Amino acid sequence: MSAIASLGDLAHLHLLLNHAPTVGTTIAVGLLVLAFIRKSDDLATVALELSFGVALVTLPVFFTGLAAQAALADAEGVSAGAITSHEDAALFSFVMMAITGVVSWVAIWQRRRSSRPTRGTVIAVFVLSCFTLTAMARTALLGGAIRHPEITSSDGAAEAAGGWLTTKAVAGFVTQHEWVWPTSEALHFLGMSLMFGTLLIVSLRLMGGMKSMSFAAAHRLLPFGVLGFAINVVTGMLFFIAAPEQYVDNVSFHWKVVLLELMGACFLLLTVYDRLWALPAGGVPPRMARVLAVSTLVAAVGVMYFGRMLPFIGNAF
Amino acid sequence: MLAALEHSAFSQWLLGSNSIWAYPTVLTVHTLGMMVLVGAIAMIDVRLLGFGRGIPLESLRTLFRVTWIGLSVNAVTGSMLFAADASKRAGSPTFITKLVLIAVGIATLVLIKRDLFDGHGDPGDVSRRARRLALVSILVWSGAVTAGRLLAYVN
Repeated sequence: MSAIASLGDLAHLHLLLNHAPTVGTTIAVGLLVLAFIRKSDDLATVALELSFGVALVTLPVFFTGLAAQAALADAEGVSAGAITSHEDAALFSFVMMAITGVVSWVAIWQRRRSSRPTRGTVIAVFVLSCFTLTAMARTALLGGAIRHPEITSSDGAAEAAGGWLTTKAVAGFVTQHEWVWPTSEALHFLGMSLMFGTLLIVSLRLMGGMKSMSFAAAHRLLPFGVLGFAINVVTGMLFFIAAPEQYVDNVSFHWKVVLLELMGACFLLLTVYDRLWALPAGGVPPRMARVLAVSTLVAAVGVMYFGRMLPFIGNAF
Repeated sequence: MLAALEHSAFSQWLLGSNSIWAYPTVLTVHTLGMMVLVGAIAMIDVRLLGFGRGIPLESLRTLFRVTWIGLSVNAVTGSMLFAADASKRAGSPTFITKLVLIAVGIATLVLIKRDLFDGHGDPGDVSRRARRLALVSILVWSGAVTAGRLLAYVN
């Protein structure tokens, strides 16, 4: 299979995408403040959806970051220490962003299901977003310092964060214990099945099966999909951080991430789309719903396909 | 006999061929079958355990049908994968554990289906027995997936 991106392309993509977490989270925080002031539910929903979307985009930001690192391997005037500091800050920010994304999704799901305001969850998203934004801003500073030493003061603002959450510590954890990789693989398969089952039941309804079930009834099970997705982000990150050389330049991985983004977008639509939510038991799904259901299943099967094919189409293992 | 199976032209092709359509595709279709099968079963089980009570039990019939499709695909692809590695797999404790768990899982599924659709009780109600079976089902199938995945690492 021919490549869709070289290391250079991916480094470019990193420079392009890396603004999304900082700019996106800033806008999300701003919209949430505005939603509180205006007491606007619609604004709050937009902020939550944006927050989920930004979290989704943060996945390729992290992945392309390691490609950029590989592309910079022999570059002159670039300090490996600056890259490591940026990478560790990025990992912390990624974790914060992922948590924010999941809590945002929970808030969206709750608002869809109940007419009661879900103030607690939205406030949690707001607080998490503020922390995430701080972490992301610091990551951006340390990232900028790789090529722009003028932005950091001489007293070492770019010093390593230290602590236990570093890519080195995570990679060490995975490689030093023989049981971690196989256990994570088993969990990755379980998470995948759980997520696919959830997408399957919802999509079947939208494709004309399980007619006696209202869409809202199936919608109740969506959190199991998020649970599966979360398990797979955690275990997937363990693989990626422990052996990035198997993934960054692997065409199968590139396709997997592209389809992962598509699947995430479908998942968000399934959660919020008004016309789906209103589909009663026995009701005929709108034509758009069929397109969405097929896209969801194709994306989900594609993510599995390119994941399983990593060693065969690409260069992993 | 296991050796003969392993040395058959088919097994030689499956493992020896460099074609993407040989081992990689069979393994991937096996994974697809697993995802469909275990995904559908997981949804049946969580419904019986009390989540999504708005989902009519009658509509679960579709998920049972999906389950049989996944199971058939994996019986075929699983046999192909076994044939390629017969003597190693036949003596593997992990593989035998996996097969036992699958057998228990299928039996549990049949019992659940009977309890739901052939019983004389109120079809709108999940019996205590069905709930217990659902718990067994989710644990057994998780075990089967785990054992299957671990085959790549342990004997």
